Amino acid sequence: MFKKVLIANRGEIALRVIRACREMGLQSVAVYSTADADALHVKFADQAVCIGPPPSRQSYLNVPMIISAAEVTGADAIHPGYGFLSENADFAEVCRKCGLTWIGPPPDAMRLMGDKIRARAAMTAAGVPTLPGSSGLHDEVQVLEAAERIGFPVILKATAGGGGRGMKIVWEKTKLIDAWSTGRTEAQAAFGNPEMYMERYCEKPRHIEIQVVADKHGHYMHLGERECSIQRRHQKVLEESPSAVLDQATRDKLTQASVRAIESIGYTNVGTMEYLLDSDGQFYFMEMNTRLQVEHPVTELVTGIDLVREQIRIAAGEPLSFTEARPARGHAIELRVNAEDPVTFAPWPGKITALHMPGGLGVRVDTHVYAGYVVPSNYDSLLAKVIIHDVDRMAALRRARRCVDEMVIEGIRTNIPFLRRIINNPDFIRGVFDTGFVARLLAERASAA
Amino acid sequence: MARGLAEIVAEHNLSELIIDSKELTLTVRRGGTAVAVQALPPAPVYAPAPALAPAAAGAPAAAPAVADKSHVVTSPFVGTFYRRPNPDSPNYVALQDKVDKGQVLCIIEAMKLMNEIEADVAGTVLAILVEDGSPVEYGQPLFKIAP
Repeated sequence: MFKKVLIANRGEIALRVIRACREMGLQSVAVYSTADADALHVKFADQAVCIGPPPSRQSYLNVPMIISAAEVTGADAIHPGYGFLSENADFAEVCRKCGLTWIGPPPDAMRLMGDKIRARAAMTAAGVPTLPGSSGLHDEVQVLEAAERIGFPVILKATAGGGGRGMKIVWEKTKLIDAWSTGRTEAQAAFGNPEMYMERYCEKPRHIEIQVVADKHGHYMHLGERECSIQRRHQKVLEESPSAVLDQATRDKLTQASVRAIESIGYTNVGTMEYLLDSDGQFYFMEMNTRLQVEHPVTELVTGIDLVREQIRIAAGEPLSFTEARPARGHAIELRVNAEDPVTFAPWPGKITALHMPGGLGVRVDTHVYAGYVVPSNYDSLLAKVIIHDVDRMAALRRARRCVDEMVIEGIRTNIPFLRRIINNPDFIRGVFDTGFVARLLAERASAA
Repeated sequence: MARGLAEIVAEHNLSELIIDSKELTLTVRRGGTAVAVQALPPAPVYAPAPALAPAAAGAPAAAPAVADKSHVVTSPFVGTFYRRPNPDSPNYVALQDKVDKGQVLCIIEAMKLMNEIEADVAGTVLAILVEDGSPVEYGQPLFKIAP
């Protein structure tokens, strides 16, 4: 087991890792930018090194500075948290070359799954369903052929596009060529490249992800699913486990596919396989996150496994702490509390003048903020994760409502009113929602205004 | 008010009456002496900041407030501070040396690379704030130069 872990991150996740280190008797080193001089992770770590000015590029993404900090403090392992350098295979390589244990998956697996095209190919080879799709389409024959193979409805996407732009949904064959032709013209204008490709269109998909974990001794396991369909502009707002709609047969297919997948690529440490679940019960691989996720506490509460401790143990060469699948016990919901206007979602940095976080049985709060803390403007707006656990989904929802009502954060604006709207929404309570839920909720409010 | 309270105390044969509110704390003791009156500030509505772990090693980034007009040269890197290019050479600078702008003051070694740190003003070296061979962090004060 290593002796000293440098946490290449900030905020609540840095605290999370420091806590795990403390419990395991490991020394912790915090790194921080000048904007984070008063941050909790700096105060709680055994040592702290300032690594740069506020911009992430010059601090939390600054590889030479971080490696240098590990050198001067004598750290022998690095935990990258999530975001920042956590999925940077080059950084993982550099750590290894400098004799630092990387607390994460092998760099090759990171590279493979970080490349969308190679990842799809690897998953298909492993028998994991991927969203039927095509490569770039060059003529009408190819377009018709692709649609035949994929099956309607299809979505045409610009190869050079992104952010949801340049997409055309086609429900029937008669509209296909026109849509492709118009799409090409628009793509040329918007992105300078007319090329389009095609995918099966999932109308009201749910985002279901599977937590996977593997050690360096050939043990590949899963820790169940998380339902993450409550997203605003592709940013998750609320996550829960188990999913309200997943039947055991589908769950088994998802988890078995996921375990097969990580075994086929020789993955180690923790990771998450993200899927789209179509309204007809079909699921399709979307991507894999080769790191710890923000919403990992949801899984921790329903399975009882400490994922960060597991990460550290795996990196140190120890076997998984569990040998059998852990069916979910009770229900967990995570609420992401952000420093943003609850209506416009504009970020709201500033000083927190009053703070009361909820507590009591089944309430976990992962946060780096405190009364008097100044939320800097340079980083993401996450203030706290409030994770609620109770015996079933309805009880967890009641507890979540109680928590939202109890929370006090003054001095800045937060999305607490928005969270309240979600958990009080009848469709959400019934478990009837998909990835379009938040957009529709916000459109409702906008049109009612 | 005190008279009224004294009456209440007497009427109910109390030995002590304590009033504790947002604005004040008042104790009335019968037969005894002092009536303690204390105005309290309103109770805070939030939890205090958590008890802090022992101070982290490594100075905070901000340069110390300098009462004098001297210029502080701070470290642009995390690394190890050396006063000379190698053990056999003399130090780059000594106290009271006059230095030009751009003159090399020290080396900061980071990841096996030796980075020369130059003076950003001309002047006299008033203080050398770090010991030879010790680790430094970004923003750490290294030299004081009187322009």
